[in-house]
Amino acid sequence: MSLKPGEVNLGTTIMAVEFNGGVVIGADSRTTTGSYIANRVTDKLTMVHDRVYCCRSGSAADTQAVADIVHYYCQMYSTQHGEAPAVKVAAAMFQELCYQNKDNLMAGIIVAGWDKHKGGSVYSIPLGGSLHKQPFAIGGSGSSYIYGYCDAAYRHNMTAEECVAFTKNAIALAMSRDGSSGGCIRLAVITEAGVERIFVPGNELPTFFEG
Amino acid sequence: MSIMAYNGASVVAMKGKNCVAIASDRRFGVQALTVSCDFQKIFKVNDRLFYGLAGLGTDVQTLSERFRFKSNMYKLREERDLEPKTFAHMVSSTLYEKRFGPYFVEPVVAGLDKKGEPFVCSTDLIGCINFAKDFVVAGTASQNLYGMCETVWREDLEPEELFEAVSQALLNAVDRDCLSGWGAVVHIITPEKIITRTLKGRMD
Repeated sequence: MSLKPGEVNLGTTIMAVEFNGGVVIGADSRTTTGSYIANRVTDKLTMVHDRVYCCRSGSAADTQAVADIVHYYCQMYSTQHGEAPAVKVAAAMFQELCYQNKDNLMAGIIVAGWDKHKGGSVYSIPLGGSLHKQPFAIGGSGSSYIYGYCDAAYRHNMTAEECVAFTKNAIALAMSRDGSSGGCIRLAVITEAGVERIFVPGNELPTFFEG
Repeated sequence: MSIMAYNGASVVAMKGKNCVAIASDRRFGVQALTVSCDFQKIFKVNDRLFYGLAGLGTDVQTLSERFRFKSNMYKLREERDLEPKTFAHMVSSTLYEKRFGPYFVEPVVAGLDKKGEPFVCSTDLIGCINFAKDFVVAGTASQNLYGMCETVWREDLEPEELFEAVSQALLNAVDRDCLSGWGAVVHIITPEKIITRTLKGRMD
């Protein structure tokens, strides 16, 4: 399944990490049409409910459409149940759409957030529409380059600040090597208290060995 | 993906007042993966003549070796330096020899002739020469470079102004291209000296 002519690609590196009390999510900001950078300041972290966000990779149109539908379903859920949907519930909504329409979609999504039952949770939904609950998840074309780094650097029971540094470093490394990822890093820390957005411009990225 | 875009590259050359500039990015990649950031794409023929090659990396290296051979032989036989226009025709013939199995490169030539007149030109992959009076561009960010050059270039730029113009044109063009960038190299050629500067750009 490849992009149709003229279709826009979220090349991308996306990531989410769970900690005690919430999650940290992060993404780069590059959208490409072929090799042209159509948007260098994209926001790939999309709200589907007050404390549930998704990180989008793959086709920009497909992921926007799917996220909009899940956003609608979450609003209906919270109205009908009188409480916010759990992260698991939102992830199941994404899974239903991604699995049943797998032939027509190119969407790699990470769902992450906080709910009162389980605290922070991260769910990965790769191309086929399977669901994977993980302590941390990486996705997008840039993720291939940071599997080793993430496996080596991850420790369980990290604090929120450590998770932010872990996510920032991993995404910066991927942005350096992957042509389809770049721009700036957008992060968000989601806890019971709310959603804190962090913006890291290109000139403040952590630097590593540069060829 | 096009074979010309497999490794990724961008080159630009501009005319100034009694000087020329030639600049390129430094990236070498394999499609989306960046492999190294110090790949040479601009080569010196003599103190007044440089050329750049954008396109498939292996052909950039092979052609630079072939041109080194041909220009050395010219110098030995003719007992004089190559003129830019002559070298441009040498490039053109070398590429046309392979008309039905071409080198996948877009060369850019920049230099000063024996009277000190600035000269720039580019050719396509089979040797059609474009003699420009202002600037020439090549590579995966060529369309971005056209826009930037049309904006920043003016006639009779002094060497320092020309450096600013060519640097801004290249840096901003490659920042909108996934396959070019990761640093840049700029050469300014004047009758007295060559000024070479390596620029640190965005490394993404």
